[in-house]
Amino acid sequence: MAKRPDESRLELLQGTLDMLILRTLQWGPQHGHGIGQAIRAQSDGLLKVETGSLYPALHRLEKRGWLKSEWDVSEANQRAKYYRLTAAGKAQLSREQDRWSQLVNAIGRVMNPAGSKG
Amino acid sequence: MKPGDDEFDDEIRSHLALSARERIERGEDPASARLAARKEFGNVTLTRESMRSVWRPRWLDEAAALGRDIRFALRSLLRARGLAAAVVVTLALGIGANAAIFSVVRGVLLRPLVNRDEDRIVYIRQSAPGLSAENTTFSVPEIIDLKSRVTAIGAFGEFSTADFTLIGLSGEPRTVKAGVVGGSFFDVMGLRPVLGRLLNAQDDGPAAAGAAVLTHKFWSTSLRSDPNVVGRPIRLGPRTATVVGVLEPSIPYPAETEIFANVVTSPHHLGAAMVTSRTHRMTELFGRLAPGATLDAARAELLAAHSALMREHPEAYAPAAGVRLSVSRLRDQIASPARTILLMLLAAAAVVFVIACSNVANLILARSVRREGELAVRAALGAGHGALRRTLLAESLVLCGAGALLGVAMARPLAAMVVRYAARFSVRALEVTVDASVLWVGAGLAIAAAVLLAFVPRLPSPHAPAGLGLAGGSMRITPGTNRRLRLFATTQIACSFVLLAGASTLLTTLLSLQTARTGYDMRNVLVFDIPSSATGVGGTKTIDFYHDATDRIGRLPGVEGVAIGSFVPWRDAGSMPRLQITTSGHTPAAGEDNPHARLRLATPRFFAVLGIPLLSGRDFTDGDRRGSEPVSIVSQSVAARLFPNGDAVDRQLSLTDPVSGTLDPSRIVGVVADADDEHIENIGNTAGEPALTVYVAVGQIGYGGRLFVRAAGDPYALVPAVTRAIREISADQPVERAATLEDVRADVLSPERLNAFVFSGFAGIALLIAVVGVAGVLAFSVSARTREFGVRLAVGASPRDLLARVLSEGAAIAGVGILAGALGGLALGQVAKASVESTRAPGALPALGAAAVLVGAALVASLIPAARAARVDVVQALRSE
Repeated sequence: MAKRPDESRLELLQGTLDMLILRTLQWGPQHGHGIGQAIRAQSDGLLKVETGSLYPALHRLEKRGWLKSEWDVSEANQRAKYYRLTAAGKAQLSREQDRWSQLVNAIGRVMNPAGSKG
Repeated sequence: MKPGDDEFDDEIRSHLALSARERIERGEDPASARLAARKEFGNVTLTRESMRSVWRPRWLDEAAALGRDIRFALRSLLRARGLAAAVVVTLALGIGANAAIFSVVRGVLLRPLVNRDEDRIVYIRQSAPGLSAENTTFSVPEIIDLKSRVTAIGAFGEFSTADFTLIGLSGEPRTVKAGVVGGSFFDVMGLRPVLGRLLNAQDDGPAAAGAAVLTHKFWSTSLRSDPNVVGRPIRLGPRTATVVGVLEPSIPYPAETEIFANVVTSPHHLGAAMVTSRTHRMTELFGRLAPGATLDAARAELLAAHSALMREHPEAYAPAAGVRLSVSRLRDQIASPARTILLMLLAAAAVVFVIACSNVANLILARSVRREGELAVRAALGAGHGALRRTLLAESLVLCGAGALLGVAMARPLAAMVVRYAARFSVRALEVTVDASVLWVGAGLAIAAAVLLAFVPRLPSPHAPAGLGLAGGSMRITPGTNRRLRLFATTQIACSFVLLAGASTLLTTLLSLQTARTGYDMRNVLVFDIPSSATGVGGTKTIDFYHDATDRIGRLPGVEGVAIGSFVPWRDAGSMPRLQITTSGHTPAAGEDNPHARLRLATPRFFAVLGIPLLSGRDFTDGDRRGSEPVSIVSQSVAARLFPNGDAVDRQLSLTDPVSGTLDPSRIVGVVADADDEHIENIGNTAGEPALTVYVAVGQIGYGGRLFVRAAGDPYALVPAVTRAIREISADQPVERAATLEDVRADVLSPERLNAFVFSGFAGIALLIAVVGVAGVLAFSVSARTREFGVRLAVGASPRDLLARVLSEGAAIAGVGILAGALGGLALGQVAKASVESTRAPGALPALGAAAVLVGAALVASLIPAARAARVDVVQALRSE
């Protein structure tokens, strides 16, 4: 398989987006639009997820067995596809959270070495 | 779960609706809210496509990429037409030969027979290896005993052949070969009629009416599928019968016959000898396994019953005869003579395929070295190993696919050739058709070849600096590539050696067979079959007829001599068992048996007509007739074995046939030279046993059936006159199968000739491919080393040195290849010995001959590249890089 030139960048984004989606769904089933809105709201509007990335990501996570989907009717009487976290998805979320905090921690140490603090 | 196609659109629509509703709730007007939602979403088609592609299997993307690569390969191969043509033709040869032979192997060895439940039909054979009798068949008492003692066989079917003079269906009286069968035969064989009915239990016994069933072939050719044939009365020799039906097309086994008749039509089958004599064996036996019984169980039961029979009737089973029973599935029995030859052909075809593949690998390797620059550029642009392999795979798929197409197209005529050849060994070959399976074989082989070939070239390593290849775009040959090229060329030589050695062994055998001294004057002797009707054996009428016939024919112009005998050399081989000789003056040494000899019948002048010298004593005379003293003539080897003092003449001799009893003792009146005319494969092989033969007078026995005419001029010109002369005496007498002895022998030798021909063909193809391979490797190696040769010339090497150097490289490839081929061939021989009985290692001479041919071919192949190396221009060569 050919390596696409931009694959490394995409992969980084992808990993983060996946984690954010899983995290959002921890509070209960939600449809795609709701997930996008939730991420935007939670990040005080700093993170805006493109639908072009969000929906393929949802399908990818479902294919891997971390999400399950189901058509339902929303409170506003609108038919929508609801995504729900599976047990495997919960396990994956905690793995990604660990990795994320390690990464943040490591980057933090590099950017703010203990010596320069004083 | 994978969502349906509409679901992607539904999800997007639902998103847009939710987004618009939210905006409306915030107070936007509905039209602009919907527009904004749409705008915010972005490219709908692209999103849907990426959602869908999540679920698409990975290989689909790969396949699409491969498709692009194949189009690219087609374009780039159009620029290398010569190479492409060489590869396609080479592969087509390999694939075509394999597909053709495979379809014949499948048809003959693997496909079921038309018979109902054909895997439940067994064939039972009695043989006497001690008498060189491969098939003694069974006598009626033996069959009755087996029937009563065996339960694993539900029903037995009996079959024996008889020649009838048939009158009544089409014009002239003619001899037909008939199968005389019991009522259960067709049921056991699981065959159905296409017209009327077959024979059944009501047709058994002496009281039944005569009934005949026509074979499909006879009905459709001789009678042009006459639908009104059922019910027609016919005459079979002295009896009459009614045609009751026509059999469906089926494999004629154990003998090809034109009609089947019930037992009552053959008086012989109802005679006392047939019914009561345990040694009167002439019936073939088939069985259908009882429900639930296995072949092994039936075999065990039959063998036990048979050995009990042998213990109970020791007089009918001489220990020296070594009588034994074998039981096999009918299908295996019919195919077995062809098995060895077909498997050998399949192996030869596989070897040709390997040679073809390695030659193609060479060409592709050489091409990919030339493409190294291009591959390096692709690698530098980010193409991974997988992508590069896919590019190569696409190219080899295009080449092999084209090769397979051509190969499959060639397979049909090739298969027709192989069928004609294999039909000599098994009748099943005649019903082989080339069907779709050939396509599958061809496609399978092509894909196998393509995948193999794609992994032949070395890829530029993404880690190593590719600077050289990128910079010059020029060709550099690495030691690794060179090694691989040589490896393939060596493989080709090795495989060709195996084939050549095999072919030259067959040719040597054929040559020695064709030049062997046979003891006969073959050119001018014409032989005919003049079968006495199956009923008229031993009458004085027959003897008078022979006398009359030889008289009349002897007076014809152009006839130098005429005689009656009982045996056409080679053609009738194996038709009579050997008899044991006991004599008054010879006692066998302890532990040794009396010798066995062949019994032949002859009239006066028989030896003169066939050119067999009379060594001492006298020939038969017209005075040796019924009632006079029984006399015999022995061959030189009999005389030497029994009477080493040279006093054979006037001794008494008697012959015992363990199968049919003892003949009257007779006085030896003459000794003639030996003539070996039965064991075709032993001719020229001095280790074979001498052809012990005893001749007795036709006039005393009353049986003959073969006419020998010595011609002064063209033998075949005499055929009409001889036929007329015989018909003048007896209008119903068949006169058949006229041929010179030379042609009889050529006909018998034709399987050997075909073997040699087919294998030489394979070896020739292999040699051709191998020569192209060696020449290609050296040519490539020389053109890649122009600079090296330039340097060598510049530092003082003479062109002659370079010539010798390249030639010796060619010779080295050939040498190593031959060595590997010899070792591999020996190993193969060992493997073959385990599964096939009669494997012969090639003699030293054919092997050396094959080696010499290969070395010669390799040297010739190296000449052109060597000459090119010697002509290298120093200045040009040094500047070239």
